[in-house]
Amino acid sequence: MGRPDLNRRQLLGGLGGLFVASSFGFAALGTGADALASGADTRVRYWNLFSGGDGSNMIAMLDAFRKANPDIAVKDSTLQWGSPFYTKLAMAAAGNRAPDLGVMHLGRVTGFAPGRLLDPWDLGLLAKYGVREQDYNPTLWKRGVIDGKLYALPLDIHVQLCFYRKDVLKQAGLLGDDGRIVPVTSTDEWFDVLKEAKRATKKGLQTIGMWNADQNFQWWFFVAFYTQLGGTWFNADDTEVTFDTDKAVQVLQFLRRHVTDGYSDPGFGGLASAEQFINGSPFVWEGNWSVPVYSGAKLDYGATPLPPVFGRQATHAESHSFVLPHQSDRGGAANEAAHRLAAYVVQHARQWAAGGHIPAYTPTLSTAAYKKLDPQREYVSAMDHQATEPKVWFAGSTGILAQRVGPVVVSSTMGSAQPETAADRMKKALTQLLATKNPMDGKTAARGGAA
Amino acid sequence: MATSAHTVAAPARARTAAGSATLRRNQGFQHGGWFVAPFLLLFAVFVIWPLLRGVYLSFTDANITGEGASFVGLDNYREALDDPLVWDSLGHSAYFTLLVVPCITVLAFLLAMLAHHIERGKWLWRLCFFAPFLLPSTVAANLWQWLFNPGTGMIDHVFGLETPWLTDKSYAMLAIVITTLWWTVGFSFLLYLAALQGIPDHLYEAARLDGANAWHRMVHITLPMLRTITGLVIALQVLASLQIFDQAVVMMDFLPGPEGSTRTFVQYTLEEGFTSYRVGYASAISVIFFVIIAAVALARMWLLRNVKETTR
Amino acid sequence: MSTVAQPRKPWTPSQIVLTVLGAAVSGVFLAPFAWGLFTSLKSETEAVEVPAHWLPKEWTGQAWKALFESGNITNWFVNSLVVSVCVTSVVLLVSALAGYGFARTEFRGKNVLLSLVMAGLMISPAVLGVPLFTTVQQMGMVDTYWGMILPQCAPAAMVYILYKFFQGIPRELEEAAFIDGAGRWRVFFTIVLPLSRPSLAAVGIFTFIASWNNFLWPYMVTNNPDLMTMPNGIATVMNSYGIQWAQLMAGGLMAGLPLIVVFVFFQRQIVAGVAHTGLAGQ
Repeated sequence: MGRPDLNRRQLLGGLGGLFVASSFGFAALGTGADALASGADTRVRYWNLFSGGDGSNMIAMLDAFRKANPDIAVKDSTLQWGSPFYTKLAMAAAGNRAPDLGVMHLGRVTGFAPGRLLDPWDLGLLAKYGVREQDYNPTLWKRGVIDGKLYALPLDIHVQLCFYRKDVLKQAGLLGDDGRIVPVTSTDEWFDVLKEAKRATKKGLQTIGMWNADQNFQWWFFVAFYTQLGGTWFNADDTEVTFDTDKAVQVLQFLRRHVTDGYSDPGFGGLASAEQFINGSPFVWEGNWSVPVYSGAKLDYGATPLPPVFGRQATHAESHSFVLPHQSDRGGAANEAAHRLAAYVVQHARQWAAGGHIPAYTPTLSTAAYKKLDPQREYVSAMDHQATEPKVWFAGSTGILAQRVGPVVVSSTMGSAQPETAADRMKKALTQLLATKNPMDGKTAARGGAA
Repeated sequence: MATSAHTVAAPARARTAAGSATLRRNQGFQHGGWFVAPFLLLFAVFVIWPLLRGVYLSFTDANITGEGASFVGLDNYREALDDPLVWDSLGHSAYFTLLVVPCITVLAFLLAMLAHHIERGKWLWRLCFFAPFLLPSTVAANLWQWLFNPGTGMIDHVFGLETPWLTDKSYAMLAIVITTLWWTVGFSFLLYLAALQGIPDHLYEAARLDGANAWHRMVHITLPMLRTITGLVIALQVLASLQIFDQAVVMMDFLPGPEGSTRTFVQYTLEEGFTSYRVGYASAISVIFFVIIAAVALARMWLLRNVKETTR
Repeated sequence: MSTVAQPRKPWTPSQIVLTVLGAAVSGVFLAPFAWGLFTSLKSETEAVEVPAHWLPKEWTGQAWKALFESGNITNWFVNSLVVSVCVTSVVLLVSALAGYGFARTEFRGKNVLLSLVMAGLMISPAVLGVPLFTTVQQMGMVDTYWGMILPQCAPAAMVYILYKFFQGIPRELEEAAFIDGAGRWRVFFTIVLPLSRPSLAAVGIFTFIASWNNFLWPYMVTNNPDLMTMPNGIATVMNSYGIQWAQLMAGGLMAGLPLIVVFVFFQRQIVAGVAHTGLAGQ
């Protein structure tokens, strides 16, 4: 090496020093790169968990809101769905750095410490912006009410569906005159349908994709079919487990049979379930959020609620809802803007319906535009046959219940545990969870007589 | 000060000068408290205090909001010992460690031997083997999640397999191990390479003169000379592998893997703390984990001391 | 490097075999990078096409374009830079001072403190994440740069490495300066620090790499996507359009390439740094 050029060295040193200094300055400001460039009157920070088609629809609705309300700057942030979202929302609320508006699954609200991590909605403000209780399905609205206060404003209902390819089913003679799949009312009929469909399926494709390896999907399917059998979870006071292992075994055997009879390939037990459907596999069980994906892929397909193989209609349903994460100084312009934004999105949810979800705001459902949507109109009845998780603190989308019990369902479907063993394990997990105290208030799920 | 020394007699002057130099020297090395103060402050606030706090919280039923915790004695620890998921997740972390550590050690050694003995393009080999280590864990995990993806992934395509890497419990951990090998072997590789370069050439030359072939040279010179570094590599890897978290959660989309088969211990503590909001319980199992890590570290120090004494 | 006076050796058969082997192994190590790069240059639909193929049939930069248009990635890049630079400077300053203090000065309780620091080697956010989080939460530093930076600034390992190094500097150098009447601080800054430049570089480089790539702690302590660092943002926040592999790969390369480029230029220092920090563990 030659002798370093001193001037250049000093220059580099100076630049480096400047760089370090500016980094510290930046850190001291502590606001983040984005906040430096923002200048609207009222700023609403809004966290959601929407990706895929939902994400683009939400952005379109936000853009429409921005156009209608130029004085409000909406800063939306999307986090990955699942535990990270809830963890971060809870931590932000606990650390008093919560956004002004958030989205949550309705089933999680009970466990999310309403009153501590969530603030109640101001019904007056909501009415001012056009949203009232009578615009909702009463049962749905009540799911968001805890101790007489509204903590969650439902945006939609989303359900698990049985997607089918009309082109394949037609070959198999499984389409009715109305162009929809023939009705199925028992497990035998269902497996007959699969048998016929399998003959018409291209080589190398499975007959049905059912996310065998995914603990969330498998749990949702379980909830649906268990509800079809009339199964219950806990008694009315949430003091005793009423989980029926015989019924659970029936459901688990039913799910497992798809694999043992060769209709579902465990190798495609994840995202590949959907990829296979696009490539020509006749069935996939999946959430209604896949509607835009399959419509976008120009498939000739239909979608019904999960088949009522145990005699009664019921399919797993959850609901996206708006919540106000706890802020110790909630109020003022940002809070009002959050109400306004939520009310706007709820009422302008037709775009949202294009994403496959059933709008919760009932006036939307009766519009001509909604009735024209296909396959949405084929499954809108699912709203009346919701199978939901119990309303306890540990339930809800990707909650502890799903995390404990979901893998057990998977173990049975994948064949690493006998259905009987799995059902016992599920009951044990439920018993354990029921006895566990909710860390937020130190109480178990038992309602103790309170209304 | 120096002027007074000039006025005294020569022999005495020499002695005094020496004395005051010693004095100054000693002063120079004294009162160093201020040097360590900034570090100790940070250390106390962000290491010692959380440790004490964790121990305290482990005896309470604190939740994530930090309000209204009450003392529950040993309940959390009692529950932890009975909690199958504690043992499961501990087992998964241990299993991962058991798979990764021997593989990494052998692979790093082989790579180092290779890079050391090729005479041309040393920097290139070093770059290739070390580059993955420079990636953030999450990026490495995403990359391999994509490589293992059924149908569209390259691994199955290249090897003509249809292995459900990420969705079957018998492969999921293996997939994480392979990812980890690729991602972190570069670090141990560099340690081995540095150690190989540190072996004096004259040892080999002497052996060559004695007629030892390459195999003998490796067994009788290279391997014994690498004994210390191997111990170090193993110790560092064991401690790091027990704390596995990043790759596992990212590759499994933040879920505990198929049938919960890749839920690691760190993941479980965070699940309890941040998904169930049970900070008290999460602290208790963290403390248990700390004790395990400390035991491993102490065992290593103890082993090292014994080895040193026997080789002396 | 030590290959000074050796004349280039001819291509012996064993060298040819070794080089071919090395090239093959390197290919395996580099293949995932290539796969990521090629995926990022496909359209999203081509990326998930079955069967998988290496080269894009249609080369497109749309994933990269979309990545920059969504805006987050530049935020995250700046955040990563700010956090890593701050962590590295604080760690260098604080651990150099502490290492010197432990190596060369006497004060009460030194040995106790030193063993406490050694015990700190066993504690990491992975082990004590939950209590560390509640501590930072109490200080009101969740979702701030400082909340990310400061807990990364007390690495016992770095203090230990520099402590070992300072112990190896001949005392005579400092003694001479003391006799000339220099104070402790002046000796530290004008004599000791310049002598230890290679060690400081090693510690600095290693700290920077660790901090740039750190996932767990920033993941725990930041909720606000605007404040996230690269590894965290890529893993947790997806843009509003779902797992899009082409974009994800482009983002990953954005996060990983800076350090790899730096490595190409400062290879010798980095190799020395890693070997040094690792070997100091003995």
